[in-house]
Amino acid sequence: MTNYADDEDQAAKVDARQNVSRRSALKGGAALAVLPLTFEGPAEAQPTAPMVAGVAVEPAHSVLLSTSVNGKVVEFRVDARSSLLDFLRERLALTGAKKGCDHGQCGACTVHLDGRRVASCLTLAAKAQGREVITIEGLSDGEGLHPMQQAFIDHDALQCGYCTPGQIMAAVALVNEGNATSKERIREYMSGNICRCGAYVGIVAAIEDAASKMRRA
Amino acid sequence: MPAAPFAERARFDARDKVLGRTQFTADIQLPDMLYAMSVPATIAKGRVRSVAIDEAMKIPGVVRVLTAKDFLAPIPPPRGATGMAAAPAVPTIVPDIAYRGAPVALVLAESIEAAVQGAEAIQATYAPSASFSPLITSEGAAREPSEPVKAGNAAEAMARAATIVEAEYECPAQHHNPIETLSTTAVWSGGRLTIYEATQGAQVVKANAAKSLALDPAIIDVKSSYIGGGFGQKGTAQRQTALVARAAMLTGRPVKLVMPRGQVFHNATFRPLSRHKIRIGADASGKMVAIEYDADHQQSRGGQFPPQYHESQPQMYGVADYDGTTANVRIDTQAPGYMRAPHPHPASFAFEGVVDELAYKLGKDPVAFRLAHDAKVDPVSGHPLSSRFLNECIAQGAERFGWSRRSQAPGSMVLADGTQVGFGVACGAYPAITSANIARLRVSADGSTRFAVSAHEMGQGIRTVIAQALLRQLDIDPAKLDLQIGDTSLVPQHLTAGSWGTASVLPAIDAVAAKMKAAIEELLAGRQIDGNLHRKLATVRRPYIEVEVSTLAPGQEERALLGLRAAGYALAGPEYPAFTTFSYIAHFAEVHVEPRTRRVRVPRVVSIADCGRVVSLRTAVSQVRGGVVWAIGSALREETEVDPRFGGWLNNDLADYVVPVNADIGDIDVSFIDRPDPLLNATGSKGLGEVAMVGAAGAVANAIYHATGRRLRRMPIRIEHLL
Ligand code: FES
Ligand code: FES
Repeated sequence: MTNYADDEDQAAKVDARQNVSRRSALKGGAALAVLPLTFEGPAEAQPTAPMVAGVAVEPAHSVLLSTSVNGKVVEFRVDARSSLLDFLRERLALTGAKKGCDHGQCGACTVHLDGRRVASCLTLAAKAQGREVITIEGLSDGEGLHPMQQAFIDHDALQCGYCTPGQIMAAVALVNEGNATSKERIREYMSGNICRCGAYVGIVAAIEDAASKMRRA
Repeated sequence: MPAAPFAERARFDARDKVLGRTQFTADIQLPDMLYAMSVPATIAKGRVRSVAIDEAMKIPGVVRVLTAKDFLAPIPPPRGATGMAAAPAVPTIVPDIAYRGAPVALVLAESIEAAVQGAEAIQATYAPSASFSPLITSEGAAREPSEPVKAGNAAEAMARAATIVEAEYECPAQHHNPIETLSTTAVWSGGRLTIYEATQGAQVVKANAAKSLALDPAIIDVKSSYIGGGFGQKGTAQRQTALVARAAMLTGRPVKLVMPRGQVFHNATFRPLSRHKIRIGADASGKMVAIEYDADHQQSRGGQFPPQYHESQPQMYGVADYDGTTANVRIDTQAPGYMRAPHPHPASFAFEGVVDELAYKLGKDPVAFRLAHDAKVDPVSGHPLSSRFLNECIAQGAERFGWSRRSQAPGSMVLADGTQVGFGVACGAYPAITSANIARLRVSADGSTRFAVSAHEMGQGIRTVIAQALLRQLDIDPAKLDLQIGDTSLVPQHLTAGSWGTASVLPAIDAVAAKMKAAIEELLAGRQIDGNLHRKLATVRRPYIEVEVSTLAPGQEERALLGLRAAGYALAGPEYPAFTTFSYIAHFAEVHVEPRTRRVRVPRVVSIADCGRVVSLRTAVSQVRGGVVWAIGSALREETEVDPRFGGWLNNDLADYVVPVNADIGDIDVSFIDRPDPLLNATGSKGLGEVAMVGAAGAVANAIYHATGRRLRRMPIRIEHLL
């Protein structure tokens, strides 16, 4: 378990040491890659600059949040208004969960909260206090793929990929809920996740496929 | 010699996408970044009197508010300019309000929360216009005839017709609603402006940002590496781009805007409401001989999206005499634009409906009726159609669907519980347009390959197509293949839309691969070295070879490349110097209409497409399924409704603008003729993403007629229309 409570300071120091000026960091598309986007990877690539962004001014109403994200304890002072989605994306740089509507209407922001699927755009970050959040970044360990991720590839259950993290998180929860019993039931229980590209046929096939593998595992 | 069939391969970027690693514009994180939120106008037409920003500035975290005062006058189009160059710059924040929802301010803050609160605190006052025209039927709507399309003499042919059907169809306004909303991140640094935007036209964005902000385009780079769905919405210059760019320039900090969906409904383009009045005449033998077709659509006061509803109808069924008129009806709205299969989708819904009506009137089976109308010649240009396997699509589809199990009489197929069953067929065509291209390939001794080409990935699978074609030609390591697309700093980026992506990258890949092979051959000078290209380079100690090519569409002249470089626009087709090319599709739909609720379900669709040679089967199947899902949404659900009292759109979110969800979609069985077009390019590929949708809504509507005997001529067809 890593505690990220002090990482903001740490990050600033790392930045200073490497003397990465904003200008040099922004010169090309490749520079974006130097900003780590997930907690995964070697220690030196731990979250740095992105977590500093957006907190130069303390919000008037803030709460101290301590939660577990993808198995790691996270302690942050967050804006009381912040949604779990914005917290994950803008503070933790976990950008796998997507904002499609910010109104609980599309499912692109689906994550697991204590094992249940939630629309993170409708969930206040503060509600994650003391609970366990799993995002698409934490679904598989390391470089391996979760059976659902593999099945989405095998059945081409995606096109643009924007709804995909939400679809996969919903799909995994659906199987765990015991709802992967028929095509019709899968369709009903996946209907909170819109895929505007229209990958539904592939999504249903992927869930049927992965469900049998998840049950065996 | 057209290319042999391709083997299937997995989607190039699927692994990153299922891991949530694909970086979309809104995912970009930059140090010191500001969050922007736009403030929409609350009147339909008029002028902004004042914008009070004091309350917003008091909110902790709010850094700055941009209003009209912060923008310079745009560069006017050059005198005598035509086409794209003549288009005025997209407005920035301006005092004149042309439509409800236009931006009146942009709030910049240290966090999203502060930006949102700041935007809510902005107080604008207005001088509203005395009146405005929200609907095409409103007073003040201005009808403006546009280009007609004619072949032969339809009036004369109609006079000879033994049977005539005439009907009026209507298609509603609709919004694209990709799940990724509009998003822009801008960085001003070292005298250069870098814009990260989810756009289908990076060069379009570049050219327009330069115009809107009076900047030299040479200092602007636009990067659009992944798009979370575009469907045409992201093919035009957006209102927010210059706002965000200006904010970055004024603050010296990176600025990101993710536009809320409700604002996207009001600022982005949309599919305009369109009306289709069609007469088709058949001779005594039951052969269609004359078509008269008047189309018009809703338009903004200055909008340029043309009412080209005769883009593919004249070539469908071998009718020599065609008379098509078009018109804009100008009202007070934001500009409409290109939404998936922009013209052929509504046109085919109407046209295939009338063809179905005619088949019934003549007592003919709708499949046999269409099969009897094959075409060889484009009646408008007089040129041959270069490849057309529509009849193969229809025949194969009828077989797979089990059309022979259908009984012709409407309402004659009923399940035990009273559910009415309908089988419907409809066909579509879409112009096979192609563009010029510029590409640069670098193969390195370290095993890596970098390929920069003009293309944008919005999920259609263009990266997969590029990889598929490149890897078939060159022995390179697929694991270290970097496809650099959508980036104006590398090669000019043509707008990606209109299903021209595949047919426009393939010639560039052929040319660049040939040049690379020649360069390697020259380097090796007859030596035989085993292994792939990387190994060969390593053996002769050459770090890399880089080659660049430019290619033209059939019949295009060299100067087309100027258009590509300047504005990201260099198209040709579907009428080429000696031939005309379309892609084709036949859709078969089964609908179930429930006896009491009258709910319509579409348990299965069979779609057979002729897109020439299929390069990537897996992504092609997904494209067609997606098109069918779109058509089902259009036929049964989607309509954006105008608020006639206040202007603007009423159902401006995903709860009220109802798109298909998983439970709305049944089986969609897709296959391809997969026969190469002999003339369009060496591979023989045409286009697919748009034709996938064309005709499918008509198949659903025709099936509803077959199930119920109700001919419904307006989309969407909802429960209340079947009660
Ligand atoms: S972003 Fe949360 S449901 Fe759409
Ligand atoms: S893959 Fe594009 S929205 Fe689902």
